[in-house]
Formats: sequence, structure tokens, C-alpha cells
Amino acid sequence: MCASVKYNIRGPALIPRMKTKHRIYYITLFSIVLLGLIATGMFQFWPHSIESSNDWNVEKRSIRDVPVVRLPADSPIPERGDLSCRMHTCFDVYRCGFNPKNKIKVYIYALKKYVDDFGVSVSNTISREYNELLMAISDSDYYTDDINRACLFVPSIDVLNQNTLRIKETAQAMAQLSRWDRGTNHLLFNMLPGGPPDYNTALDVPRDRALLAGGGFSTWTYRQGYDVSIPVYSPLSAEVDLPEKGPGPRQYFLLSSQVGLHPEYREDLEALQVKHGESVLVLDKCTNLSEGVLSVRKRCHKHQVFDYPQVLQARWFWEAYFQSIKAIALATLQIINDRIYPYAAISYEEWNDPPAVKWGSVSNPLFLPLIPPQSQGFTAIVLTYDRVESLFRVITEVSKVPSLSKLLVVWNNQNKNPPEDSLWPKIRVPLKVVRTAENKLSNRFFPYDEIETEAVLAIDDDIIMLTSDELQFGYEVWREFPDRLVGYPGRLHLWDHEMNKWKYESEWTNEVSMVLTGAAFYHKYFNYLYTYKMPGDIKNWVDAHMNCEDIAMNFLVANVTGKAVIKVTPRKKFKCPECTAIDGLSLDQTHMVERSECINKFASVFGTMPLKVVEHRADPVLYKDDFPEKLKSFPNIGSL
Amino acid sequence: MQSWRRRKSLWLALSASWLLLVLLGGFSLLRLALPPRPRPGASQGWPRWLDAELLQSFSQPGELPEDAVSPPQAPHGGSCNWESCFDTSKCRGDGLKVFVYPAVGTISETHRRILASIEGSRFYTFSPAGACLLLLLSLDAQTGECSSMPLQWNRGRNHLVLRLHPAPCPRTFQLGQAMVAEASPTVDSFRPGFDVALPFLPEAHPLRGGAPGQLRQHSPQPGVALLALEEERGGWRTADTGSSACPWDGRCEQDPGPGQTQRQETLPNATFCLISGHRPEAASRFLQALQVLAALQEMSPARVLALRQQTQFLWDAYFSSVEKVIHTTLEVIQDRIFGTSAHPSLLWNSPPGALLALSTFSTSPQDFPFYYLQQGSRPEGRFSALIWVGPPGQPPLKLIQAVAGSQHCAQILVLWSNERPLPSRWPETAVPLTVIDGHRKVSDRFYPYSTIRTDAILSLDARSSLSTSEVDFAFLVWQSFPERMVGFLTSSHFWDEAHGGWGYTAERTNEFSMVLTTAAFYHRYYHTLFTHSLPKALRTLADEAPTCVDVLMNFIVAAVTKLPPIKVPYGKQRQEAAPLAPGGPGPRPKPPAPAPDCINQIAAAFGHMPLLSSRLRLDPVLFKDPVSVQRKKYRSLEKP
Repeated sequence: MCASVKYNIRGPALIPRMKTKHRIYYITLFSIVLLGLIATGMFQFWPHSIESSNDWNVEKRSIRDVPVVRLPADSPIPERGDLSCRMHTCFDVYRCGFNPKNKIKVYIYALKKYVDDFGVSVSNTISREYNELLMAISDSDYYTDDINRACLFVPSIDVLNQNTLRIKETAQAMAQLSRWDRGTNHLLFNMLPGGPPDYNTALDVPRDRALLAGGGFSTWTYRQGYDVSIPVYSPLSAEVDLPEKGPGPRQYFLLSSQVGLHPEYREDLEALQVKHGESVLVLDKCTNLSEGVLSVRKRCHKHQVFDYPQVLQARWFWEAYFQSIKAIALATLQIINDRIYPYAAISYEEWNDPPAVKWGSVSNPLFLPLIPPQSQGFTAIVLTYDRVESLFRVITEVSKVPSLSKLLVVWNNQNKNPPEDSLWPKIRVPLKVVRTAENKLSNRFFPYDEIETEAVLAIDDDIIMLTSDELQFGYEVWREFPDRLVGYPGRLHLWDHEMNKWKYESEWTNEVSMVLTGAAFYHKYFNYLYTYKMPGDIKNWVDAHMNCEDIAMNFLVANVTGKAVIKVTPRKKFKCPECTAIDGLSLDQTHMVERSECINKFASVFGTMPLKVVEHRADPVLYKDDFPEKLKSFPNIGSL
Repeated sequence: MQSWRRRKSLWLALSASWLLLVLLGGFSLLRLALPPRPRPGASQGWPRWLDAELLQSFSQPGELPEDAVSPPQAPHGGSCNWESCFDTSKCRGDGLKVFVYPAVGTISETHRRILASIEGSRFYTFSPAGACLLLLLSLDAQTGECSSMPLQWNRGRNHLVLRLHPAPCPRTFQLGQAMVAEASPTVDSFRPGFDVALPFLPEAHPLRGGAPGQLRQHSPQPGVALLALEEERGGWRTADTGSSACPWDGRCEQDPGPGQTQRQETLPNATFCLISGHRPEAASRFLQALQVLAALQEMSPARVLALRQQTQFLWDAYFSSVEKVIHTTLEVIQDRIFGTSAHPSLLWNSPPGALLALSTFSTSPQDFPFYYLQQGSRPEGRFSALIWVGPPGQPPLKLIQAVAGSQHCAQILVLWSNERPLPSRWPETAVPLTVIDGHRKVSDRFYPYSTIRTDAILSLDARSSLSTSEVDFAFLVWQSFPERMVGFLTSSHFWDEAHGGWGYTAERTNEFSMVLTTAAFYHRYYHTLFTHSLPKALRTLADEAPTCVDVLMNFIVAAVTKLPPIKVPYGKQRQEAAPLAPGGPGPRPKPPAPAPDCINQIAAAFGHMPLLSSRLRLDPVLFKDPVSVQRKKYRSLEKP
């Protein structure tokens, strides 16, 4: 194609001098132009299939064309592996630096073919698996093509199987890599360090400080916290299809599937089997398989034949870390990444728990049993729009509570300024007004810097009926349950069997699963969770519907702690959106429908119903006991 | 002319086609003609080799280790590891039994108390022949007495040399196969998985109990310094969130930023403290280079919260006293003996910790009352009633009927503990009734009888009086708080200024810190703790002064949970239950107060006062509310 274009360019200048041959010449010229047009047309109509099959930014070459590097026989050889290497002695973390994603940057050297002085190749250029492995790294978030920004270097020299390479020459090839520097921050992958009968336990190629992700380490070759022990990948595993684990406990407590075990080990295992019977299964090679059955995919116990690896019962681990080269490569990088950014490391549970387990279990962010000191007090946060008179009454009432330490008014009205300083009630604790940018319900749960106590009292600007005793007692109860929502009126969610969905209930029930946040105590950490960690679009839903922020908070806290709310004192209602509205029943019903809708929406976003139902509430120890009122700590606990 | 015209038209056609060709195909052609260049910004990645399909696998069939016999590894000469130098055959019976070499000559008070503490522990055995571990204390720095080789030394096999303070004595004998537990061991001598590393303990470290962690709140206070850096001679430099670190180039010339140096002994109030070892300058540079500040700022509030609580938990559970450090050491060794059936990491790493979650009870987290939420499980819905019949020995027929009437009752156990003969007839009940002939000892009440088949125990005294709905409600509450004691009648402790000691009162007050075990729900694990973890002296105390047993049980549960017990309403003020139920506000028979010094003896043995007060009672949701009785589930609780 190149040539024809050049020919065309020279063409016109030649025409006048070639009169005799002009006919042939024109025909040739036309055919070329025509061919060009057809070819172009084809590219116009077909290029999509070509482009989509491979990205233009990925090199498309043949392995046979990779550059050849000749290694002189006397080129330097790295030191043998330094067995004393640890992350803090042999790894240069400064290369990784600080980065906001807490991810290391991995560079892969370009593929080369290494030959010795006689042109004999040092090893196979690259195996299928190593190519796959490098591709997986290259496609991951770890990859960088900028060698200067990289913190970890992966040579493209394939050392997965030591039997396929020449040890000294491979080491020489390593040593001439552009950033080798005694192997610092270089990662080698090796699965077969040697062959039968005497397997080594680590790659014999001298590698100095390079990290080794190896299969088959022993305690003598593994450098604790430095090397990474990886499984030996079996090419047969790609086609394995594992069955879902059936319900109930596993059939075998202990299962050994390895063949070619040392006779002494096998004796020990068989002794265990004799002792424990059915719960132990020791498998071996099958000896009597019929023709055509792949023996590596079967294991036998006496004459019983089992499918392998299906019999192993460890589906999740297998899929997460063993099944593919990609899983092995990414787990290795994650392990190294966790060492370099330990504060952002993946937790034990994240490594070990299959995702499904998470639905049932919780890890409470406030897991340490602590009763915060009373002296700390609480911060009251009043969300208000423009009911100034009612707001001032609330401020005056709340300020009478002994443990109040600060009052924060969240002014949610952008069209109107809050009243002048001089007009506010004079109270004994600091009063701060925060103005918001938008009139959103979520603003009540924002983790304002002004909140200096752990306990927060969320209170509406019209809750004037709660007594000082009631509020102080609520705070005392929160101190005993600092990881829960502690509120006054309780509500319940119920399963509506007719409609097949959740229903909101505010009737007199013996059970509660939510408290209203018109007045509720909770830990300020939940403000952070509500603002930044609320799942799905719940926050937007709440702001769009101008309703259900309290239900959302109840869901959030129950989901993260696995615990029920604490309803305090008999209080049943604050005001009456649910009972005595002006047009009574209809408004009431609309409200109930909307609240039920919220519960269903949130349950679907959380993927579960986190709310917990309980039948108790908290009262003062001597509440309604036959005991002199004046000796009770909280005599004025209010009414329904 | 004609030819010119023809030529002209040809020219025209040619140039038109040419133009078309250029327009249509020029770009495509160029793209093909030129070698592909990466788009700016897009990384090149690992090439997609055209012949990737043709690559060979890294291993050939038969090369993978599963098909071959691997020779067993010979134990490495010289260095010790668990398998080669510790003989577990002596420990198979009842776990770790420890013999302590008696001190020779004069010993310090600390030494004597440590010996006493080990001798009082559940690990102790007095015979060196029956011991699985022989412990040699080597800790007297002042006296200058150095231990000489003990009698049963046997090249140090199954010996533990415990050095709480850096070796004061030159080694007078070869340690050989003995494990060494010492503070700050050097890398050269420490044998991982064999020796035990201890924290460096100051001379004045409390022997038992120990100061609880100073953390009083879950989250850091706003505005405290982010980082405190240890400087030379005990000073601390605090750095604020505002002080920015240096630009990333691994070097930083300017001052480490604003901050202040405080000379103080105690840890400063900062979110993180960096302890630099012995080279503060190095640490300071390390800081700048790593930009720790930035990394710390990057750490999510959730992580900060978790780390804060975890450090406090670790301190409280394993480090706050010399006794805890020693018990932790022994527990670590016991876990090695138990191997796979030792404490799972969850038990070590979440409250109450491995010292209080005995692996002799179970190694499965769901058997303990502490991990239901983490495990995503719930306590089972049934309980066993354990009725203690002390003197005078009336069979509690009414009580049996009331308890058996509960739908949650699984079985009734009668612990016959008085001189009268066992009655031959017992009432017919819906649930199985078992009679245990006790040993007339009060501590029998808390023995972990194998006949108890449920997690929950309702502990009762034959003279207690309860109604079925009281039992039902209390059990429901217990299911929400399975790690606590849920009781009906309460008492309190208080600091008695006049006597300079702890006092005990069963008067009705606005708060309580103990529930009486004559009617209380708790998890059966506390029977194991009571019987197997308490020092013998305390159990003897309970037997000698029976009323002390309540206090003791409350101490155990509070020390484990670090939370107060829970009180539920106790319906009738029953006169016949006088010894248990306080009457009205007027003169009433008081429950027998425990021996006055009982609480102080127990507190001394615990080393601290674990009891905490609660100011609330959990009532049914509609308890004594002015609503129709028909709506109430637990109406009989309200009867006067």
C-alpha cells in the first residue's frame, strides 16, 4: 500500500514525456486509483470489527518478532538470593511514595529473547501462563507504563518453570535489566522450582534482593513477610466447573486429595481416618479407571471414584485465589500492596469471608465496650427552617438539661437570614448557627466540625414536650448503649402478607424496631456514615421525598451494628403527623403509605432487612415503683 | 488539440478520483502505513501477541508436584522450632500444665508475687513430672541472684525461661532447647514460632488488674494533634493536621513543620503516636520521607476508630498487668500445643480476648456469648432452669411449675444441696426434669454440668418466686444481651469513704451494679469461667461465705463484658420471698448482706473494681402505660 501511494505521487509529472505508452500508463493509473478507492471503502465500512477486536493502543505483534538480546558469557551474575531480606531491609518503599489510591505502581519490562554467545536461546521466550499473568497485571489498576513512576518491576523473563531455563544465563539476563539494582523491588514468579524426584523449594536462579512469588516454599527458603507463597497453577483447572455448595455443614471435616504422598504421611492420615471414620476422607490415585477417563480429574478411596477437584468443597477460596493465573497474579500484588500501605490493607475478613457471609454477620464500628464519661455531655442539633418562635422554645427547654454541652442550630432556609444574635435566647452553653447551602433533610445528619462530643441529640424545632428529666435520662441510656440509636417514640416494621411487602406501623404495639429522630441520641460517627457511606441512592431519595431521613438512619445503624434501637420512656408521639392532622385520616394514610414505601425502598437497597425487633424499652430503675418520688433521680419522666 | 482535450478530461477525472481517494482513505491508510503510536494518555500495556494461542504451557503433564513423591524435610540442625524441640506428648491430657521452679535464696517481693500468681492460676501443677511445661523465672535485676541450672533441665526441653526485664544475668548455662520469653528480643537470637516476645515492662507495672486503658471515648476528640512523635529523653513532638509534609522527592530540607515539643512522661493526647525506637532523628526523616502525616490524614475515620479501640482492647486484654503478660505467654504456648484446635484469630482479636474466651470450653466462636453478631448467628431460643435447693430443703414445686410453663424452657435441673434425703416424687412437667445430687458446696451452683444443654441458664434459688411471664420477658431480653446477666433483683457497690474500702448495699436505689443470681439469666459459659478460671482462693471464699457468691459471679461477668448487668421488672412484692424480694419502702426484711469484707477481698484478688453501674431497667414496651390491658403482652407483670 505504501509503495502504490508513492507511485501515484510521482505519476502526473511523468505523463507528458511518455506519449507512446500513455494508454497502458493510464489504465495502470486508473486501476491503482480504483484499487485504492475499493480498499479505502473497505476500511470505511469494516474498520469497526477490526478496531473492536483489539484496541489501537495495544501493540499487536508476533512473539517471533521480539528483539533478540545477546548475553556475553562474562556478563554479570546477581548474588544468590539474600535470605535475610525483609521488607524494611531489601525493599525500597520510597519508590512507592504516597499516593491517594494507596496502590503500588507496577512496571513490566518489554519482552525480549535472550541468546548466548552462540545464539542458543536461554529459555523459552514466554509460556502461555506467564503471558496471561503479565496481561492480567497490565490490565489491572496496578499497571504503569512509566518506568520512572513504578515501585515494583516485573521482568518479562519467564521463570515459572525452572526446568525450561538455563540458570546462569537467566540470571545474567536479569542483571542487565535497566532498573535491576541488585533486584530491589523486582518481583519474580516461579511455580516449579525444580522437577521430580528432588523438587527444590525455591527458584535456583540467583536473584539477589528480588522478591519471589513462589510455589513450594519451605520454611528454610521462604523469607518471612518478604516473599509471597503462591499456589502452583494447574493448566487443567481452567475447564473445571465447580458445583454450588449444598445446604448444611460440610460432609468431610478433613480431606486429603494429594497423590504421591510420602508413605509415612499417608500412614498418619489413614490412622486418622480409622479413628474418625466418615468425617475424614483420604484419597489417592485411581488404579482401575476405564479407558478415556482423564485420570488427573479423578481421585479414589478404595474403589470409590470421586471427581476432582469437585470433591474439595472449598469453592470460594478456589475461585478467589487458585483457579486462574489472573487470580494468582492479582492476589500476589494485593499482598505486596498491603505490606506497603498497611493502613489501607484488606482486612482478614475481606480475605477470608465469602461475600455471602457478610449478610448475616456485622462488624460493629464501635465494638469496644465503653461507657463514655458523663462529663462529656452531648451536642443538641436542631434542624430548623423558619419556625423561629418554636425553635427558641426548644432551645430554652433543651438548655435546661444538665448534660447539654453545646447547641447547634442548622439553619436550612436559604431565603431568609437567621435572627440577629441579640434575639436568641440566652443559654448557659455555646450556641452555634450553621447555615446550609440547600434545604435538605440530610443536613441534619452532617458531621459538622462544631460537634465536639460523641453524643449527639437530634431534635426537631417543634419538640417542646420532652421534659428535662426525660432528655437527661435519654442521655444516660445512650451512655450505656453508645452504639445504638436511643429515641423516644418507637415504631415498627411489619411484613404485609397480603401485599407481600414491608409495612410501617405506628399503632400501640408490644414491639419496636425503629425510633423517630425527631428527638434521638446517637454517636456522632453515624453522622459520618450517613453522609459518606449511605448505600445506594438513599440519601437522594430522602432529600427528594423530604421524608424518611429517620428511617434511613435506623436502617444504617442497625445494618452496621446488628443491634436494635433503644426506646426510652413511655413517650408514644411528638406531634401528630400521624393522628390529628387537619384533614385527619387521609393525610394520615398518605403519610403511612409514604413511610411504608421508604422501608421497602431501603430494604431493597440494603439487600436485606437490617432492622431488629425487640419488646423492651428503657425506664429509670425505679420508674412507677412504689417509692418516694422525691428520692427518684428522674421523677418527671413525662407521659405518652 | 483533441488529445489535449482528452488529456484534460483525463486529468480532471484523475485528479477527482485522487481527491476522493485522499479524502476517503488517506487517514485510514496513514494509520495503517505508520507504525501504531499510543494515544496520548493511554498506556501501552502488555502486548496482545498475535500468536498467544500458540504459546506452550509452562509445565508439562507429570511435572506438577501432585504426581510425584516428595521426600520429607529433615529437621534443620542447630536452630529450634516447635516440632523439633517441644515434646507435646506430655500435654495431651488436660492442656498446658505448668510447673514453676521454686525460688532459691532471697527473692524480691515482685518475684514472690509473680510466683504466687502463677501458682494460683489454672495452668499450675505442683509436680514437675506431671507438667508439660517447666517454667524458670529469671527476673531479679536487683538482687543479683542468678539462677543456676535447675534439676530437671534435660537440655532445656519443654522449658520456658521467662525474663520480664532485659537479661540481668550473664547466661550461666546453655539455653539449649528451652523457649525464651523476654522483652525486646534481638533478631539474631529470636526463634519465630518458638520463643515468645514480650513487651518491655516498667519496674512499676502492676502485678494484676492494672489500669484500664485511658480511652474513654470511641472517636478521637476534634482538634487533638494528629501525630505525636517520640523524641529523645522522653519528649514528644506533636504535629497537627495542618502541618503539611514536604513535596514528594524523598528529601526534605526544611523544618519538620509547625509543632511543639512537650517534655512529659505520659503519652500526649494525639490520634497517633509514633515510637521511634532509639533513633529519633532517623524516625523524623522517615516521617518526612514517607509523608506519614499525609498518609494518616488519608486514613478513613472508620479505620482510625477501629485502631483506637483495638489498641485499647489489646492493652486491657493482654498487657495491662504482669499477670496478664504471663498468662498471655502461657496461652500462646497452649495454642501451639492445641495446634489447629487453638483459639481462632477472632478470639484473640476481639473483646474479651483469648485469656477470657477459654479454648478448653470451645474453639468455635459461636459457642461463646460474645461473637453472635460477628458470626451472624443468634443465641438459641431455649433455656435451662437450674434450681439450687439449699437448706432447709423444700422442693420448690410452685417455682418449677412457673418456670416449666415458659414456652422457652428446655429443661429443669434441680441441684439438691442439703442434708435432707432426695424426694422420690417430683411434679409432672412438660419439660425434662433432672435432679443432681450436689456436694453441699455453694460453688457447685456454678459448675459447668454436662447435663446443661442450652446456651442460656436461668439460675434460681428454691426460695425465689417468679411468674411465667416474668421468665418469658426476661429471657427475651437476655437474647438481646446474651453476654450479660439479666436479673430481677439488684444490689450496688459503693466506695465507703469512712472505711476506705468498698461497700455493698441491697437498698433500692436509682442505680445498681449487681443482679442476684438467685434469679438471673446468663450464658452457660460463665459456669466454665467460674469453675476453671477463678483462682482457687476465691472459690473457697464463696464456699465459706455463701452470700459472697453473688458478688463473685457479678465480678466475673463485669470483668469480661466491661458492662453493667441488666435489670428487668419484678412484678409482685412478694412477702413470702422475703429473703430475696425487698418489700415496700417501709421497714422490710433485708436480704442477707454478704460478709462485709467479701467485696473487698474479691476486688483485691481481681486487682481492680470491674463493677459498673446502670441507671435503667428494661420494661416491656407498653409497661404500665395507660392503654387497654388487652393490647399488652406482659400484663401480669403490672399486677400490684
